[in-house]
Amino acid sequence: MFSLFKSLVGSKSLTMDDMKPVLEKMKDHLIMKNVAADIAIKLCDSVATKLEGKVLGTFESIASTVKNTLTESLVQILNPERRVDILRDCMEAQKHGRPYVMAFCGVNGVGKSTNLAKICFWLIENNMRVLIAACDTFRAGAVEQLRTHMRHLNALHPPERHNGQQMVQLYEKGYGKDAAGIAMEAIRYAKDIKIDVVLIDTAGRMQDNEPLMRALSKLIKVNEPDLVLFVGEALVGNEAVDQLVKFNQALADFSSSSNPHIIDGMVLTKFDTIDDKVGAAISMTYITGQPIVFVGTGQTYTDLKSLNAKAVVHALMK
Amino acid sequence: MVLADLGRKITTALQSLSKATIINEEVLNGMLKEICAALLEADVNIKLVKTLRENVRAVIDFDEMAGGLNKRRMIQSAVFKELVKLVDPGVKPYQPHKGKPNIIMFVGLQGSGKTTTCTKLAYHYQKKNWKSCLVCADTFRAGAYDQVKQNCTKARIPFYGSYTEVDPVIIAQDGVDMFKKEGFEIIIVDTSGRHKQEESLFEEMLAVSNAVKPDNIIFVMDATIGQACEAQAKAFKDKVDVGSVIITKLDGHAKGGGALSAVAATNSPVIYIGTGEHIDDLEPFKTKPFISKLLGMGDIEGLIDK
Ligand SMILES: Nc1nc2c(ncn2[C@@H]2O[C@H](COP(=O)(O)OP(=O)(O)OP(=O)(O)O)[C@@H](O)[C@H]2O)c(=O)[nH]1
Ligand SMILES: Nc1nc2c(ncn2[C@@H]2O[C@H](COP(=O)(O)OP(=O)(O)OP(=O)(O)O)[C@@H](O)[C@H]2O)c(=O)[nH]1
Ligand SMILES: [Mg+2]
Ligand SMILES: [Mg+2]
Repeated sequence: MFSLFKSLVGSKSLTMDDMKPVLEKMKDHLIMKNVAADIAIKLCDSVATKLEGKVLGTFESIASTVKNTLTESLVQILNPERRVDILRDCMEAQKHGRPYVMAFCGVNGVGKSTNLAKICFWLIENNMRVLIAACDTFRAGAVEQLRTHMRHLNALHPPERHNGQQMVQLYEKGYGKDAAGIAMEAIRYAKDIKIDVVLIDTAGRMQDNEPLMRALSKLIKVNEPDLVLFVGEALVGNEAVDQLVKFNQALADFSSSSNPHIIDGMVLTKFDTIDDKVGAAISMTYITGQPIVFVGTGQTYTDLKSLNAKAVVHALMK
Repeated sequence: MVLADLGRKITTALQSLSKATIINEEVLNGMLKEICAALLEADVNIKLVKTLRENVRAVIDFDEMAGGLNKRRMIQSAVFKELVKLVDPGVKPYQPHKGKPNIIMFVGLQGSGKTTTCTKLAYHYQKKNWKSCLVCADTFRAGAYDQVKQNCTKARIPFYGSYTEVDPVIIAQDGVDMFKKEGFEIIIVDTSGRHKQEESLFEEMLAVSNAVKPDNIIFVMDATIGQACEAQAKAFKDKVDVGSVIITKLDGHAKGGGALSAVAATNSPVIYIGTGEHIDDLEPFKTKPFISKLLGMGDIEGLIDK
C-alpha cells in the first residue's frame, strides 16, 4: 500500500536508490534475453544516470519510467546512423567499371559461407552477376560447399533467363594456398570480364589466434574490399563482445595503416534458433556502433532478412 | 585453462570469507553476488545461477549457526557442491566395449562442430587400436560429404556416404550395417545440424536414431553459446536419448559456461572438449578433477563430504 502511494506522488525526484530494485530486475531480464552481462550493466547504468534527479509525473511509476527509457536506448543502439545500401553502391561501382567487393569474416561455424550464398541469391535476384572467391583454403569441404551453392544458384537462375549469361561463378584454387592472393586474382578476373560483385569467403578463425588474424588483416589490406562484414550468430553469449573487439583490433593493429579498414557491418545468423533470446543483436551493435546489414533466419536462400529493430526491442522487453 | 577466469573470480569471492572478521548475512550476500556475476559473465544459464544462489543461502541459517570457522566451512562446501552439480550430472558416460560394434551418433545445432569432432573421435580411438570408421548421414549441408571424405582420407579412417542418396536414414542404416559386418568397433554417425524450432529436422533425427540404434548419442555444443543453450539442449534430450556432451571451440577465449548448461539440460556428462581445428585437438574431460583445478583446490570430494 505504502509503495503504491509513494509511486503515485509526483513531486519527488528520482534517486539512484529508488531505481535500484527496478534496474536490478531489468539487468537480469536483459541477461536472460542473452545480452552480454557487461553490456546489460552498462545499459542500466546509463538509464540510471539519465533519470537521476528527474521528477516523475503524477501517473508515472518508477518501473514504467525506467522501462521506457531503456526501450528508447535499445532502439537507438539498433539504429546506427550509418546505413549500408549495397545495391546502390554496386551500381556506383559498375559506373566506374569495377566490381563491388564484399568480404565475410567471423569465428568458426557461424554461417559465413551459407549466408554468403544467400546474399549471392539476393544479388542475382537484383540482376547482379556475382563471382564467389573461395578464400577458405583450410577447412575440409569448404571449396566444394561453395561449388554446390554455385550450381544450385545457377540452376535457380539459368542463363536462359539472363541473356545467356551465367549469373554466378566460382573462383577457386583449391586448398592450402594464400587467401589474400586468391582474393586478389578473383577481383582482377571479375574486373576483366565485367562481373558486378565479388563475394570473398574466408576461413573461420578464433579472435585470439594471432597468425590467422594477421592473415585476415592482410587480406583486407591488400584487397581493399568495399564492405567488410562480420558474421556472428544470434546464439552467441558474452563472447560476442570479445569477438568484435578483437576482430576490429586485429584489422586495425596488423594493417600498419593510419586509416585501417575495420568492420563495416554485421550479419546476424541463426536468428531462427533463439526464440525471444535476441540479446546478441544488442551486444553486437553496442560494441561496434555499426549496423546489422542482414539477418539469417534459416538454411535456405530466401532466409535472409533485414533487421526489424522494433520487433527486436519488443522481444527484448517482453 | 578452460574457465580459468571464472575459477579465479570464484576463488577470490570465497577468499572474502576468510578475510571477513564476522560472517553475517551481508558478507554472504556480497560473496554470492560476486560469484553469480562471474557465472553470468561466463554465460552460465541465469536460472541455474539463481538456483545456485538460493541453494547456498538455504544451507546457511545464521541464527542457528555457531562459530565463524564452522560458518566458513559450511558456506564454502555449499558453494563447491553447487558448482560440482553444475558440471556433474552424477551419471556415468557410456564406455565402448572392445571386440563389438559401438555405434555413436552425433547430434547438435548447426555449425557446432559435429563433423570435425566426429573425425577427431574416430582418430582418437584409431590411435588406441580400435577399428574406427565414420558414416556421413548429413545429406543437407552443401559439401558435407566432401568434408567427411577429405577429413577421413587424411586421417586414413574408413568412411561411408553418398552423393546421390538424399535420405539420411537410408545412408545411416546402410553404412552402419556395412561396417558392422566388417567387424568395426567404433562406428560414428555424423548427422546434419538442426534446431528445435524446426520439427521436421527433429523427426529426421529421431528416424536416424531409430534406424541405427546408437549405443551413445553425443550432443555437440559450441563453447561460445549464451542463454539459448538450455532450451535447445533440453529439446534434443527430449527427442532422442542423448548420453554425453562434447564442448567444442574451447581454444578461443570462450568461457564455456553457456555450454555447461547443456549438462543440466541433458543430464549427461561432458566427455571431451574440442580445443582446435586440427584432428588431435580433442581432450578427455573429467568432472571432479576439472572443478578442483578450476578452483585451485586439491581434493574437492573430501571438502564436500566433510
Ligand atoms: N538455422 C540456421 N542455420 C544456419 C543459418 N545460417 C547458417 N546456418 C547453418 O550453420 C551451419 C554452418 O554454416 P557455414 O556457412 O558452413 O558456416 P561458416 O561460418 O562458413 O563455417 P566455417 O567456414 O567452417 O567457419 C550450416 O549447417 C548452415 O546451414 C541460419 O540463419 N539459420
Ligand atoms: N577453433 C576451433 N574450431 C573448431 C573446433 N571444432 C570445430 N571447429 C570449427 O568449427 C567449424 C564448424 O565445424 P563443423 O564440424 O563443420 O560443424 P558441424 O556441426 O558439423 O556443422 P553442420 O554440419 O553445418 O551443422 C569449422 O570451421 C571447424 O573447423 C574447435 O574445437 N576449435
Ligand atoms: Mg565457411
Ligand atoms: Mg557437419
